[in-house]
Amino acid sequence: MKKLYVFMALLVVASMALSACGGGAPTAEDCSKEDVFCVGLVTDVGKVNDKSFNQSAWEGVQQAQAEGNADVVQFIETADAKDYAKNIAQFGDAGYDVIVTVGFGLGEATNAAAATYPNVRFIGVDQFNAETVAGVSGLNFPEDNAGFLVGALAAAMSESHKIGAVCGTDVVPPVWRFGEGYKAGAAYADGMNGTTTEVFVVYHSDVGFDKTFTDPEWGATTAKSMMDQGADAIFGCGGLTGNGAVSAAAQAGKYGIGVDKDQYFELTDAAPRMLSSAIKLITPGVAKLIAAAKAGTLEDGNVFGDAGYAPYHDLDSSVPDEGKKMMEELNKGLLDGSIKTNVPPVKP
Amino acid sequence: MQSEKQSGSLTRQILQSISEASLVPFLAILTAVIVGGIVILFVGGDPILAYRGLLQGSFGSTKALSETAIWATPYIFAGLAVALAFKGGLFNIGAEGQLAVGAVVSALIGYALPEWLGFDVPAIIHLPLVVVFGVIMGGVWAGIVGALKAYTGGHEVINTIMMNYIALNTTSFLLNGVMKDRSPTNVIARTPLIADSARIPPIFEGLRVHWGFVLALLTAFFIWWLLTKTTLGFQIRTVGLNPDAAKYAGINVKRIVILTMALSGMLAGLAGVIEVSGLNYRHELGFSIGYGYDAIAIALLGKSHPLGVVLAAILFAAMRNGATRMQFLTQMPVDLISMLQAFILLFVAADAIIRYIYRIKSKGERVVLTRGWGG
Repeated sequence: MKKLYVFMALLVVASMALSACGGGAPTAEDCSKEDVFCVGLVTDVGKVNDKSFNQSAWEGVQQAQAEGNADVVQFIETADAKDYAKNIAQFGDAGYDVIVTVGFGLGEATNAAAATYPNVRFIGVDQFNAETVAGVSGLNFPEDNAGFLVGALAAAMSESHKIGAVCGTDVVPPVWRFGEGYKAGAAYADGMNGTTTEVFVVYHSDVGFDKTFTDPEWGATTAKSMMDQGADAIFGCGGLTGNGAVSAAAQAGKYGIGVDKDQYFELTDAAPRMLSSAIKLITPGVAKLIAAAKAGTLEDGNVFGDAGYAPYHDLDSSVPDEGKKMMEELNKGLLDGSIKTNVPPVKP
Repeated sequence: MQSEKQSGSLTRQILQSISEASLVPFLAILTAVIVGGIVILFVGGDPILAYRGLLQGSFGSTKALSETAIWATPYIFAGLAVALAFKGGLFNIGAEGQLAVGAVVSALIGYALPEWLGFDVPAIIHLPLVVVFGVIMGGVWAGIVGALKAYTGGHEVINTIMMNYIALNTTSFLLNGVMKDRSPTNVIARTPLIADSARIPPIFEGLRVHWGFVLALLTAFFIWWLLTKTTLGFQIRTVGLNPDAAKYAGINVKRIVILTMALSGMLAGLAGVIEVSGLNYRHELGFSIGYGYDAIAIALLGKSHPLGVVLAAILFAAMRNGATRMQFLTQMPVDLISMLQAFILLFVAADAIIRYIYRIKSKGERVVLTRGWGG
């Protein structure tokens, strides 16, 4: 027993010594003050280091802090869907100025919280609201533009004039927009170059939500069957399923194209054969909206961030100069609106 | 439990038996908190702040208390389900699946009954129907396993796990298919919202805690009464302790095994019903995931006693609920909570560790959990 008491006493002393450090910079407890600008982020069921949208959004919040647009930033990782409201309330009750909620799943909880906390600006990443909700800005992305760009690139680079895309379920609008944009981009490049490219796009809609984005074997098999039919560039759009397709293409010595962020750094086995990635600029998008919220210029309703394509990295020397020039023109055209993908926001 | 000495009043005896029974779990929790604190120190966190956050987030305000009660509600039902099966010598790993089928059926009755009938059903009829159908579905789901055990000897551990797969994949199929919310903006695999008449009302205005929590406490009392004061309860416990003896004493063991599983499934089904009808107002893929497995831990920690289950459920609920506040204050990963729970269970299951550290003599009594394989 004696040893135990000594041990516990040591523990208490040690923890007190540790908690005594710190101080100076504003903390979460200062957020109720008017001059302290606080940004909280609530993830969807997942972590802030998921190498996907939760992480990108959190990096956006951190970027906003680095740019001086937020004094205090905190995150809460949602562990269970029934905690959405509670986790948002944690920030709302603490007097935070901006709350970023990440993912379609938090849409309803975000809209409900906006009514409870009228003084808080809400930024909903990937939340498209058909009707404007006061206090909520939905940050969406023109995935069709990103798909369009890599589709054009794939069509221009293909020697067999056959290209493929392996995607998650088309029930999720962003995924569908990636896939349809890919088709439109290939057709646009054909029009410019006078070629005819056959495009295979397959959605993994035959399984449930728990499986559609997490099925790399299916992705690899589907990509292989496309390559058997002659395809020499594969766009993987849909989480791990798409990653499987990209890796399979790289292994076969074909071109692989990533999605959401520059996957060159993530799919290291496929990196030498990664032509590009169709990217959603979530991090700068979130940072920009936080800056606007700080300046008081952020408006309610749907806001569209930017989409683009990643650098060619290892294959930079394989892409001819006219190809690079075409891509720059297309990107510019999509950004200024002179080129349109003609893909509707949701599957009709 | 009956003390042979007649000295001391009955209440004193009860208090003494409670304090003896709860000593090891209590010390296990204390030890887990200390070990958890050391881990927090190791990863550079502040244990005092973390535990303060945990307490504030779970009991620090009326809102926090309300949210803890919300977490505790399904935990109590599912924990009772597993505990009841333990008392009957059965290991019900299937609470997860029974909970899911209960949730699906209650959601279906909740949103579709008015459509089928073509008129609004008054709450006094609708709500009981929602509850009863969900409960029956959970009971049937587990009863199948009980019947397999009774008539073919198929082990309930294997069969409940298999039934979990069937339940969860069927749920996924239904929520992506015929039961999916067809409103144009919805892309999530979930049912439409249930009718107002199918909802369990909140107890207080402005807080989410609903009458399901009270029902959970009453159910715990009922299970205690059933197990200790009725013939059926005596039969369940006897079969649990020694089925051969039970058989020679004239108990229909097959009937009791099926009944125990069915009752256990009904309780787990009720956990699913209460989540749909009292909190979420719909069922969605990914809702209520893992509660059936947490329930096993809760039944173990509560030593399969209804009161113990309620206390263990509230503890687990407080930890899950307080985790948010803890992360808010310290930015520590919420996984820490799972680790704490694992430590508690480790010390409860391997109570020799606790008895050694705190020099507690074993009384030689053991809680019967299951009879193991082929029993």
